Amino acid sequence: MKQKFIDNFITDDRYLYLLNGLKTTLIITFFAVIIGILIGFIVAIIRVSYDKTVKETKRKFSIGSFFFSVLNKICQLYLTVIRGTPVVVQLMIIYYIIFADFNVNKVFVAVLAFGLNSGAYVAEIVRGGIMAVDSGQMEAGRSLGFSYTKTMIYIIIPQAFKNVVPSLANEFIVLLKETSVSGYIAVMDLTKGGDIIRSRTYEPFFPLIAVACVYLFLVIIFTWIVGKLERRLRNSER
Amino acid sequence: MKKFIALLLALVMTTVMFVSCGEGKEVTSIDDLAGARIGVQLGTTGDIYASDYEKEGSAIERYSKGADAVQALKQGKIDCVIIDSEPAKVFCEKNPELKILDEPFAVEEYAICISKEKTELKDKINAALEELKKDGTVQSIIDNYIGDDTKGKTPYKSTATETPNGELKMATNAAFPPYEYYEKKKIVGIDADIAQAIADKLGMKLVIEDMEFDSIITAVQSGKADIGVAGMTITEDRLKNIDFTEPYTTATQVIIVNK
Repeated sequence: MKQKFIDNFITDDRYLYLLNGLKTTLIITFFAVIIGILIGFIVAIIRVSYDKTVKETKRKFSIGSFFFSVLNKICQLYLTVIRGTPVVVQLMIIYYIIFADFNVNKVFVAVLAFGLNSGAYVAEIVRGGIMAVDSGQMEAGRSLGFSYTKTMIYIIIPQAFKNVVPSLANEFIVLLKETSVSGYIAVMDLTKGGDIIRSRTYEPFFPLIAVACVYLFLVIIFTWIVGKLERRLRNSER
Repeated sequence: MKKFIALLLALVMTTVMFVSCGEGKEVTSIDDLAGARIGVQLGTTGDIYASDYEKEGSAIERYSKGADAVQALKQGKIDCVIIDSEPAKVFCEKNPELKILDEPFAVEEYAICISKEKTELKDKINAALEELKKDGTVQSIIDNYIGDDTKGKTPYKSTATETPNGELKMATNAAFPPYEYYEKKKIVGIDADIAQAIADKLGMKLVIEDMEFDSIITAVQSGKADIGVAGMTITEDRLKNIDFTEPYTTATQVIIVNK
């Protein structure tokens, strides 16, 4: 048992595979989360604004409403394609087809793929959050003289954000674990690190359990941070 | 809000900076491997040998399939691929822009891996292999797949009609032509035919299971498969966990580069 532990982690500094893999996994997740939030919020706001203004008021044709319809269609296409295909396939398409002729950093490809993927899910989560804010809030904002954009930014989005924190946290936990497929394009992430050790020692127990424990540990830490954030956000409630 | 946007922009810029990455290096001989970006298939002997160059500044890219590594080489994402000579020939045939370096990287022997607990089966397989080598079956199977003159001329035909001794489960990674690959929904190749010939001798029914290369040893060790036949070389590390039969053929590791 002890010998196996030494073989798996100490010999040839094998623990470094896990450590470097963990670093890569964290980098990918961190930047993918940021891209995901950016895309998600933008897409959600476009979709909601389209539904609430262009569609509901049924104004006669104008440049603005035409522009919004096009944006809305693009967003819908994005959501359909991204949510309709597996992330592994998207990852390989980006690496082997879109960046076929470029010598591109693989970590960047992974960040892009997971960011784009996560963005679609975040968009729907945020859209749900915005829809859940009472429509009286928008009316109140507008009657106080705020423009549509300002009401969105200062009144609606902050309340929507509070609504979506739990589901967003859930999405990012999923994202963290999904990055484990980045080994498909030979990114040295945590799972691949475990795989490399496994391919050297031919012993599945220690590498796999170690990898599982690290993921579990990361998710526990993340859940704890989100819990704190939620409590802070709740301070503003009566 | 402005601060937030500025922060986000800064972060996005850092991500973009990832794009710029190390320029390649031309590999023309084994001496050039130090510092080059080397593509290998995870868990193969090519991977194990190449990993020694990691200390000399080489970046080892470990792909799940040899074909993926070759794909990355074609797109200039890596400088060379270290892989067994026969698959290398097939890859270069299909991709005329690639070539194999003349000097071989390493010479090695392929054998069938089997669990340490199944010594009885191992002895039987060794005996069968011995007979097959003597009567020329092994050579004719290899000739059927390798060599321009002999290719396709001596296909192995299973003669056994009854399989009284149960199943022989074989684990392999069928992305390794000409040793094992898919043809018309069936796994064929030198390894598949040799395993079939052995199964015929033992009066067993051969069942082939396709999996990732680095899972084969684990599968055989844990009893999910009886034997692993996948162009596998005997190494000391592997012997710690698993037994090998007598080798059935020799092969070399070669380096593929862009022309």
